[in-house]
Amino acid sequence: MSEPTATRTESRRNLPPPAGPILKVRHLTTSFRTDDGIVTAVDDVSFDVFAGETVGIVGESGCGKTVTVKSIMRLLPEFTGIIGPKSEILFEDQNIATLDESSMRKIRGDRIAMIFQEPMTSLNPVFRIGWQIDEALKYHTDLDSAGRRARAIEMLELVQIPNPEKRIREYPHQLSGGMRQRVMIAMALCCEPDILVADEPTTALDVTIQAQILRLMDELKKKLGTATMLITHDLGVVAQVCDRVIVMYAGRVIEEGPVHDIFHRPQHPYTRALLQSIPKGGERSRKGADGKRPRLPAIPGIVPSLRELPDGCRFQDRCQFKEQRCVDEEPQLIDHGRGEGSEVRCHIPLTDGDPRAERAAIVGAGGLGDVAGATGKSEEDDV
Amino acid sequence: MVARFFRSRGARKFMANRLAVAAFLVIAGYLLVAGLVWFTGIITLEETLGRIGASYQPGLWGAQRSGKRIEDATFWFEVAQNAADRGDFETARGGVAFYERRLTGELDADEIKARVARGIALAKEVLVVEGFDESASVLPKVDEIDAIVVELFPHPEGWDAFMYGARHVLGTDRQGRSISFRAIYSIKVAVQVGVVTALFAVLFGSFVGAAAAFFGGWIDHAVIWLYSTFSSIPYLVLLSVLVYMFNDTSVDKTLIPLYVAFGLTFWVGPCRVIRGETLKIKELEYIQAATAIGFSRTYILIKHVIPNTAHLMFINASLLFIGAIKGEVILSFLGLGVKSGPSWGIMISQSKAEVVSGFFWQIGTATVLMFVLVLAFNILSDALQDAFDPKHV
Amino acid sequence: MWVYILRRILYNIPVYLGILLLVMLALRTKDPVWAFLGKRKSVADHDALEHKLGLDRAFAVQYVLFVGDVVTLSFDQESWGQPGKTANELLGDAIVPSLVITAPALLLSSLISICVGLISSFYRGRTPDRVLVILAVLGMSISFLVYIILGQYFGAFILNDKVGHRIFAVEGYPDSLTPFTWWTYCMLPVAISVIVTMGYDTRFYRAVMVEEGTRDYITTARAKGASKSKIMFVHMLKNAMIPIITRVMITLPFLIGGSILLEMYFGIPGMGRRLILAIRDNDFPVIQAFTAVFAGLYIITNILTDVLYALVDPRVRLS
Ligand SMILES: Nc1ncnc2c1ncn2[C@@H]1O[C@H](COP(=O)(O)OP(=O)(O)OP(=O)(O)O)[C@@H](O)[C@H]1O
Ligand code: SF4
Ligand SMILES: [Mg+2]
Repeated sequence: MSEPTATRTESRRNLPPPAGPILKVRHLTTSFRTDDGIVTAVDDVSFDVFAGETVGIVGESGCGKTVTVKSIMRLLPEFTGIIGPKSEILFEDQNIATLDESSMRKIRGDRIAMIFQEPMTSLNPVFRIGWQIDEALKYHTDLDSAGRRARAIEMLELVQIPNPEKRIREYPHQLSGGMRQRVMIAMALCCEPDILVADEPTTALDVTIQAQILRLMDELKKKLGTATMLITHDLGVVAQVCDRVIVMYAGRVIEEGPVHDIFHRPQHPYTRALLQSIPKGGERSRKGADGKRPRLPAIPGIVPSLRELPDGCRFQDRCQFKEQRCVDEEPQLIDHGRGEGSEVRCHIPLTDGDPRAERAAIVGAGGLGDVAGATGKSEEDDV
Repeated sequence: MVARFFRSRGARKFMANRLAVAAFLVIAGYLLVAGLVWFTGIITLEETLGRIGASYQPGLWGAQRSGKRIEDATFWFEVAQNAADRGDFETARGGVAFYERRLTGELDADEIKARVARGIALAKEVLVVEGFDESASVLPKVDEIDAIVVELFPHPEGWDAFMYGARHVLGTDRQGRSISFRAIYSIKVAVQVGVVTALFAVLFGSFVGAAAAFFGGWIDHAVIWLYSTFSSIPYLVLLSVLVYMFNDTSVDKTLIPLYVAFGLTFWVGPCRVIRGETLKIKELEYIQAATAIGFSRTYILIKHVIPNTAHLMFINASLLFIGAIKGEVILSFLGLGVKSGPSWGIMISQSKAEVVSGFFWQIGTATVLMFVLVLAFNILSDALQDAFDPKHV
Repeated sequence: MWVYILRRILYNIPVYLGILLLVMLALRTKDPVWAFLGKRKSVADHDALEHKLGLDRAFAVQYVLFVGDVVTLSFDQESWGQPGKTANELLGDAIVPSLVITAPALLLSSLISICVGLISSFYRGRTPDRVLVILAVLGMSISFLVYIILGQYFGAFILNDKVGHRIFAVEGYPDSLTPFTWWTYCMLPVAISVIVTMGYDTRFYRAVMVEEGTRDYITTARAKGASKSKIMFVHMLKNAMIPIITRVMITLPFLIGGSILLEMYFGIPGMGRRLILAIRDNDFPVIQAFTAVFAGLYIITNILTDVLYALVDPRVRLS
């Protein structure tokens, strides 16, 4: 880290992408001590992140997305959040699940950076923007103060904040929500991390700003070659920017695969229900045969409480394909012969074939095709 | 409103907190004692002011030195001698003056005088001995003196024995008064001061605060000015001025100056809190909806706003209770508080002189009784805060 | 910023005028002259004294004149209780003894409590924290007066006895104030005052720190790779300054009040003691002057609080 940052960027960019995954998560189990005992919020989660790719994590509220990434960053509340002993988080083949705090500090912000959902409260209100970016640079680079200042301004320019020389002297409350999120992004990227973790980075922003921020992140990712883990509720966004998708349910990964597969040929009933429940961007104006808009199908039932998980498949209470097997035995996350890195945790995965016909047979009229339309990028890839 | 309060999640969370429930029971116990003293007159004001024996008697019948024992006996000899001199045995035998310990009916005046004379003579013999307090040689004589006292004033039996024991259990103060009865009577005083001031301050403060926030406009401005003004006078200075107002007036010897003083200073806290909370509640959707539908504002205030601030009122009431009890002690010490009869403040102030001579029974008793009550209220208010207002600092 | 300060000052002027009005009215609910003279004196005596003080004028006139006195800080009526001295002179004599108790007490108790609060929040939920919290609640439940009485007994009587020479004076105030005499006469009252306020303050500061510790910006700072001490002493502490300042300022009137008690008990001739003695003597001119000064001091601390806010919180400063 003795060389100046700019040079490091160059060298990193010129390197061929490394062969193996940059982050390997194995059997990650995270529990919390609460007033009524221990709850396991994330249960035996495994996945990989490859250099430069974007992985989307989706799932209903409370399924453990945030806990998963906070575990990776080791940002769980001290003393109450516990990472299980069998968990491995291999970052460049180093297990950071058991790394000591001071070595972990060197990784946080430098190698793995994170941006948060709430730009309004995530910046420290009593310090200037410049100071806050400067802080990260101070910890992880050898730049002198003038160099750090130049770098901060450069980063603010990169995230398209006008007038950066002036802005670094301002306080967070003088900036709008979108501006603040840009500052957060600048702060996260200023040390050129290998992985950027973005936990619902646009949820708190209004729609037009959301699009701008996402486009910005996508551009920066391409420019800097950063791998991104993107948590979002917006499946349209996932379809646009992600390479691979991880679907979580009640603390478990229930399906994982390339974005195209997940959207076009979902194997898990939950994934499919999730896809059906999103409003279709491109379809908003199209009316159904009866002149009304198609009703938004919701997933019936509720997520089981983490304290009272059923023995078998965790989705059984809401699943329309449930069999005795599903109650008796929990399915494993395995490849059911599809290949392409697609894995699913279901005894009776939905089969390939024309998703429209299949869905028509089961649910009646609906619109998966609309989502397929949204994943334009993936379709091109397929051709 | 009450039913709604107890069904709430907070109420259930509170009930699950065992420490808080214990604190609640302790407070109920104090209220019960205060009620007993108030309604049944089991301990009267006079009983807390009259002598019951020698001064500085340690509590729990702690071992006494010869000097103290003789002092105590001399007290009883004087009682008997006075009765014999006046030829009035009825008062002493009826226990009017000294409660349960009554002059025996089996001896006539001459016999009584003879025993008193014998006792006093023995006492004199002991008191001339060098270092009689430590000397073992005088013990037989002291024992005989005690025997004479018991002969004159036999130990009471039954209920009387219980009351006698209770009266003496924690010893006597510098004026030979019962520490235990003074302390228990003080519970009544404390509860009286606490309940009156807390009730007044919370009800008045909350009402004014809620009204100010709810109606806004000039009412709000007036209320803000009023409480800024009140809270800009240091608490003890305001109290002092108020006490000056009441000096030498007809209510000076009652608790009314204390009530007024605490009432006027304490309403500011709840007023502020409830005003803030009401401002928040006012912005809630259902209140806005109710307003839009056209419910009258007073109706909304009573039906929605006040029930939603009930927990804050409870919390404030228990905090003010503590404030009143502690304030009483300070004012009483400054000579501005309770002026007739005992109170914890009076007891603690008086024990200043006793502590210097190493006697801790009075300060100890008053402090422990007060400590337990204040601690219970502290725990209660904490638990209420945790249960209903977890975000509060 | 200057506009803000000016606004705060302007806002506090009517409040202070209101206090003066209330205090003056309260002091006149009974005839102060009769209260002082007692019933034995003649009506002529009464009227003479009343006229001398201008108490026979219309209330509005008295109010305006007194406000004038306050503004020019000239309380030059003669004290009734201490003939030959004006209220101003009594005030001048009393200020230093009050300050040498109150200021160190405030400073020490705030510093110690903030540190203990930080430690407690650092160990949140674990044994050191639990012990500190329990101690604080227990300490809060004992009367100030008990601390004073026992503090004097053990701190002065017993300690001096055990050591063999005088470490703390039992009571009184030195004729000439030197660090040594200050220690002898004032350290014990200051220590007692610190111990008493600590229960409340540590609990409060702990709650503030715990609350700040759950804020999003803390997670951001951790995600940046900041160390624990950086987070506690830079990120948290600066944000916590706002509640801390409020607290310190709120403690001030309590300290003034508390110092009344300490001054009475330890015989320190400060402002609080003067005021109480004046009330006992029905010394009207002194009571009126002293309450006005106490309230004025308090208003000034209020304004100072607002200014300090603005200094630490850019949201206030730049609004
Ligand atoms: N500090 C904590 N203590 C106890 N339980 C927690 C804690 N943090 C999270 N949990 C629990 O862990 C589960 C997963 O929470 P998590 O925040 O990861 O959900 P999420 O998928 O990010 O949801 P959302 O989409 O709403 O952000 C939840 O049931 C939550 O109650
Ligand atoms: S395992 Fe059974 S219950 Fe679970 S999702 Fe698959 S079909 Fe449904
Ligand atoms: Mg989340």
